Amino acid sequence: MKRNLIKQYNLPEKVIFCKKCTISNQRPRITFNENGICSACTFAKHKQETIDWAIRERELIELCNKHRKNTGEYDVIVPCSGGKDGSFVAHQLKYKYNMNPLCVTWAPLKYTDIGRKNLDSFIETGFNHVLGTPNRKVTRRLTQLSFEHLGDPFQPFIYGQTNFPMHVAVQNNIKLIMYGENGEVEYGGNMENANIPNKRIKDQDDIYFSGLPPEFWKDYGISDQDLFPFKSPSYDKLMSNGTEIHFMGYYKFWDPQENFYYCREHVNFAPNSERSEGTFSKYASLDDQLDGFHFYLAYIKFGIGRTTSDASHEIRDNKITREEGIALIKKYDHEFPKKYYDVFLEYCGITNEQFNEVIDSWRSDHIWYKDGTEWRLRKAIWD
Amino acid sequence: MSQGTNFRLIARLDIKGNNVIKGVNLEGLRVVGSPIELAYKYYQQGVDELLFMDCVASLYGRNQLTQIISDAANNIFIPITVGGGIRSVSDVNAALRAGADKVAINTAAVLNPSLLLEVSKYFGSQCLVLSVEAKQVGLRNWEVYTDNGREPSGMDVITWVKQAVELGIGEILLTSIDYEGTRKGFDLDLIKAVSEVVAVPVIASGGMGKKEDIISVSKENFADAAAMADILHYNRNTLAEIRDYAILANINVRSYEKN
Repeated sequence: MKRNLIKQYNLPEKVIFCKKCTISNQRPRITFNENGICSACTFAKHKQETIDWAIRERELIELCNKHRKNTGEYDVIVPCSGGKDGSFVAHQLKYKYNMNPLCVTWAPLKYTDIGRKNLDSFIETGFNHVLGTPNRKVTRRLTQLSFEHLGDPFQPFIYGQTNFPMHVAVQNNIKLIMYGENGEVEYGGNMENANIPNKRIKDQDDIYFSGLPPEFWKDYGISDQDLFPFKSPSYDKLMSNGTEIHFMGYYKFWDPQENFYYCREHVNFAPNSERSEGTFSKYASLDDQLDGFHFYLAYIKFGIGRTTSDASHEIRDNKITREEGIALIKKYDHEFPKKYYDVFLEYCGITNEQFNEVIDSWRSDHIWYKDGTEWRLRKAIWD
Repeated sequence: MSQGTNFRLIARLDIKGNNVIKGVNLEGLRVVGSPIELAYKYYQQGVDELLFMDCVASLYGRNQLTQIISDAANNIFIPITVGGGIRSVSDVNAALRAGADKVAINTAAVLNPSLLLEVSKYFGSQCLVLSVEAKQVGLRNWEVYTDNGREPSGMDVITWVKQAVELGIGEILLTSIDYEGTRKGFDLDLIKAVSEVVAVPVIASGGMGKKEDIISVSKENFADAAAMADILHYNRNTLAEIRDYAILANINVRSYEKN
């Protein structure tokens, strides 16, 4: 079966790369201006040149003053896996802004040693923490289903990552949830929310779940009971709790590399011992053995591999040049996540053949062509 | 260190493009200054040698240090070692002609050990430094990494340095990935393990966070030199403070009169 990605994701038929970074117009919802610059680069310039960060910090202080409880109870939820970004947010809120955070982790599909170690050392440095682990049988089934039908095995993780903190917020009467950056704004997407500090709950299903909320899988035989932990609390509950979801990236200049330095110093964060497959970095997205497949599917569906994304971020943050980014893409973007391939097949309960069948169903003709037995990109950034 | 020779203080400049950068565990490369300015500053402060490492040369498959070296060599009159992206005899030639006194090789030698033999025959062991990026993998076990600490090679550090000495290297720059940029002192177990099996000088690199860290590393059977980056770039101690401290601690360092 062949899918129509152009229609499904509303993609332009002709692949065009941003003139400043390495992202292409195939990233869903990204827009390009008349000079061929992507919305993420435009936002990065805005962030670096026009935002007054002193004013933003005052807004953060006001927000904290509004929510701080001084009763010993928690006053903010920080979704945090023990990685450099969430740990930075939690540490700043607790030690610089005098809040009492409850840190919340939605368990990875399959832990890595380094991820678990970083989470433990984060907690060791002085944080209260709640771990949410969903029924593994259901998680595996949802992973397999979303791999096949959505072309992204990571969707069940994303449901929980988004919705579990809201459950914990409602349960503990905590109004404020503080995320790191707003990926949609920071990395290119719907820019409506670029200058607001919070996320509208109504945007959740459309933007963050690509139009497919957890309820969608009922049609595939997953019961309400099994879907419950993946689902958001009811709208009424969220509203009566007064839940607000904010992004630290609105209040503080967001620089993942500086977060790494901060976390090395304050929460004993360690980068991995080798680079992650499909990219050059050793410090980002380390905690799940299976996330390589999330990035690999993006490469198949949109021609945007993990290196293309990472390089585009680092170019916008002035860490590398576009030329360096392209060299890295040539070297790593196509790399298959072989290290955990067997783990992935076993996790989903599928065979090598079934895997390839699904992969090929997501290869769009406007991105790929077959040269003999080899799949090649119709347009690579170095062409 | 060996008896009767000075313990050398070396400033290490990791270079990416036009900037000196610094990472932690060789990751998260932060821009800290300009190569020429920092090199001249440390030279003026009396450093014994300079080490320029194009830390991303292998990662990007390029070699851009030649211009920086020839600019630096105009006003700097202490030994200069160049590393990063040196893959052939002609790369060595270009680096030496630009004004370097020694070259350091890692990735290319791991891929093709006979390069070491060629270079040492052609230019002599005195100008050939083996650069080793070591990652601890067991209690007394370290693995050789390449591409600025990104790729494991499967090779054992101790086996590799012994082989490299036979191929004619004159010195070893030993970087601990685990300690690099962490300011927790040198990886003494690693340095001792290597020094014990080779007769050539060993430059300890990675971890120097305060002047006191040179005491243990300069003891007999440890290192012959310390490479310093973070401590100097972030002005945690000046070279004068480090040198004065070393003299007080009875470490043989070059005496240096500031003019």
